[in-house]
Amino acid sequence: MTDNSLDARAVHFAGVVSRLRRLDASMLLWLALIAVLVFLILNPVLRLIISSLQETGTGHLTLGNYRSAYGSLRHLEALGHSLELGAGVALLATCFGVPIAWAISRTDMPCKAFVRLMVFAAFVTPPYLGAIGWILLAGPNSGWLNKVWMALTGASHGIFNIYSMTGLILVVAVTSFPYTFVFTSSALDLVSSEMEDAANILGARTMRTMLRITLPLVTPAIIGGIIISFLEAIALFGAPALIALPARFNVVSTQLWQFFEYPVRVEEAAAYAMPLLAITVLMFWIQRRIVGRRGYTSVTGKGGERRMIALGPWRWAMLAYALLVGALSVFLPMLVLLQAAFAKAWGRGFSLDNLTLHNFYYLLFEQTQAKQTIINTFLYAAITAFAAISLTLAIAYVVNRKLVPFSNVLAFLCMAPFVVPGIVLAIGFYAAYASPPLALYGTATILILGFTTRFLPIAYTSSAAGLRSINPEMEEAVRVLGGSRLLAIRKVLIPLLKKSLAGAWILVFIPATRELSSAIFLVGPNTRVISVMLYDLSEEGNFEVLAALGVILLVVTVMIAAIGSKVIGRDFMLRRNS
Amino acid sequence: MFPIRRRNFIAGGAALLTLGAGKRAKGQPAPSMSSHEKELYEAAKKEGGELTWYTAQSDDITAQALGRSFEQVYPGIKVNVLRTTAQVAYQRVTQEIKASAIQCDVLSTTDIGHCVALKANGSLEKYVPENSSKVLDIYKNYDPDGTYFVTSAGMIGIGYNTGKVKEADAPKNWTDLLDPKWKDNIALGHPAFSGYVGTWAVTLRNQYGWDFFEKLAKNNPRIGRSINDTVTMLNAGESAIAGSGPVGTLMESVQKGNPLAMIYPTDGTVLIIAPSGIMKGCKHLNAARLYMEFLMSPGASQIWVDHFNETIRPEVSAPKGVKSAKDLKTIRPTVDQIVKGIPEVIKQWRDTFGV
Repeated sequence: MTDNSLDARAVHFAGVVSRLRRLDASMLLWLALIAVLVFLILNPVLRLIISSLQETGTGHLTLGNYRSAYGSLRHLEALGHSLELGAGVALLATCFGVPIAWAISRTDMPCKAFVRLMVFAAFVTPPYLGAIGWILLAGPNSGWLNKVWMALTGASHGIFNIYSMTGLILVVAVTSFPYTFVFTSSALDLVSSEMEDAANILGARTMRTMLRITLPLVTPAIIGGIIISFLEAIALFGAPALIALPARFNVVSTQLWQFFEYPVRVEEAAAYAMPLLAITVLMFWIQRRIVGRRGYTSVTGKGGERRMIALGPWRWAMLAYALLVGALSVFLPMLVLLQAAFAKAWGRGFSLDNLTLHNFYYLLFEQTQAKQTIINTFLYAAITAFAAISLTLAIAYVVNRKLVPFSNVLAFLCMAPFVVPGIVLAIGFYAAYASPPLALYGTATILILGFTTRFLPIAYTSSAAGLRSINPEMEEAVRVLGGSRLLAIRKVLIPLLKKSLAGAWILVFIPATRELSSAIFLVGPNTRVISVMLYDLSEEGNFEVLAALGVILLVVTVMIAAIGSKVIGRDFMLRRNS
Repeated sequence: MFPIRRRNFIAGGAALLTLGAGKRAKGQPAPSMSSHEKELYEAAKKEGGELTWYTAQSDDITAQALGRSFEQVYPGIKVNVLRTTAQVAYQRVTQEIKASAIQCDVLSTTDIGHCVALKANGSLEKYVPENSSKVLDIYKNYDPDGTYFVTSAGMIGIGYNTGKVKEADAPKNWTDLLDPKWKDNIALGHPAFSGYVGTWAVTLRNQYGWDFFEKLAKNNPRIGRSINDTVTMLNAGESAIAGSGPVGTLMESVQKGNPLAMIYPTDGTVLIIAPSGIMKGCKHLNAARLYMEFLMSPGASQIWVDHFNETIRPEVSAPKGVKSAKDLKTIRPTVDQIVKGIPEVIKQWRDTFGV
């Protein structure tokens, strides 16, 4: 009998051992990943929600923050303005992005490569830089467009006023239409011509076919683009700070900034930020509902034959429209920014005696902070991109190979920052990690952590897409031959994924170099980044130096992106890689 | 490749003036340093050789010139100059205090209320600079407990673009700004950003009541953030009148060849007295003390004067061709009025102007 019970114990023990063995090093790593995600996402957001319900100082439960945050008419108006801005931008960005995407993907419009390049240029231009360009273009009395108008017509007043809601919508839309473009064109690339042919055979003309067949087929992508541009617009801080103040209105983000005036009211800010969070969640829910209701089976990922529609003379009209959008988003703002960057005084115009390199000289040699700031920007963005890609690759791997139970929770957490506007995320980070015990305020760490969280969804999407394209059998070969999972990842997976990881790296790097809204509450004097320095300098309206700093930012970013594209051998953003 | 600039001369010249000496090897302290300064200098080098200065007292150009001059006088100590508006600097400082992570060593604000409030909650370090007894009498003894000291002064008048406004038509006093002919043509700063504008608003509220601003709002002024932005707007031709025109920045712009002119209102030019203090718990205490000495030195005053602001030292004479506070009728509120008044005018401003 005793023997038997010993046996039973031995069997039980062996079971424990084998279960423990399954918790090998890689398993522990996966657990660590969950901890990291909780640290990066769950904790700051929960802290934000909790502190919105806490009384300042005492920490007692209260609804007072919501009362004071929404008790003022001005605060409510700001919320209304944000919604107006978001809707306006979404609409305009769709008008800009969708026709261009259709023209490039489905028609014989000329100069496609150039138009693509132009969309890329719009993508790398930060909204606040676009805003500065447009202030120089459409300042009511001094803007170039108005000066030209007054010179042509002899009018005493200009006709454009950038300091208005319309102006703000335009400025934000011209920098956010690349989202709509990318979403729409990657969907259009997958729609085969068969259905269009069917419509044509039944007598529909090109226009009717496009409106009744092609565009409805890519509705989910267009809605995705609309939602992204809406959310980008309501979460934006820089462009509204530059334009809305002289235009005499506030939006949610500029109002949030006011809660950080003395006395700092983090709790009230948290309460005020909640609708932004709620709106975002709601938008994604709506998207799921709309997309889920109908079948879009033509978008199968395989795609049949695609033929370009011959537009005849209309292809020139399409090109003209694309160039008009390009003029609004890139050519005109860049022209005046370059003029200002190399001008002694931009108001004196385009003349040789107005040319100078002094603005660059001032930034690089006289300003005590600029050099460090420029280095910080690219260093932090690079580290952020590495961190986000490594983390999401690991998570995508766990999810894809179903290594832990509930792995979808990890995927969900990775995508969650998508619904948290940058400025709200920064407030959450400030509330959670600025003070002791972690005391991260003013350190590079808090900025990099904040940026990493912010761009986790982009990184995850790219990593997951890359992983899906690789058959697990290749790693299994390594495992069968006795190699560990980590060895398989290092020797098989990473080399195979190198190109798509480089592409993902650039996709995170570019927005990280220009991130303002989550940086503004997290920077310290030694961790400033270009976006924050531009914001600080813009207080004095010193446009020449601002433009010079912006030019430095753009030139370096484009250079790095160009090197990256060379490495991966393709246009990383504008073409679908699957 | 680059032209030699006036401000390079100013920075270098100021350093030479302070030193009263010619060339010296890099890394060697100035021979004219007092023993107290030398002590601070050595201690400052030991604690890391740098400091962080948040300043709202000038435009970025003047602030950078001051920082560089300090680096020349005290080689081996790096100054991180962060120029923002006063309320933004204060916002960052209070954020740091709340997070118990003090980043700023010396705070130079233009809203004296900041120093009063910071002192009251124990956030300022007591340090009485040797130089504090050597400044002009009107800038002495703002804080009997020695936590903050006046380190600069400046004036606000009315600026205009001479290309757009004839001298005869230009406003003569503050109430002239209410004339409907200036509709859409006045540039202002914002009291929730600029300490200069805040103090200016408190002063004019004292003179004419808030009604003045209600009427001013009817002229639809263009509201920026920093007071210096008004000068940019004049230069760009965006506005014709700088309703809150900072004398220093504007006169420097005139000197660069921009078509601007300054009016010293007959009902009084607004005089701003701007204090600095050391943050308690800062990382570079000795460098901060040394910087306070520097800010109150003749060398620093010379740089202020070169950039067309007031001097606080009797040894340094006012800039040529520019009126100084002592030649003018000036008006300014009491410290108590500023402490109480600025938060009030910010609120009133938001109600009246909508932002």
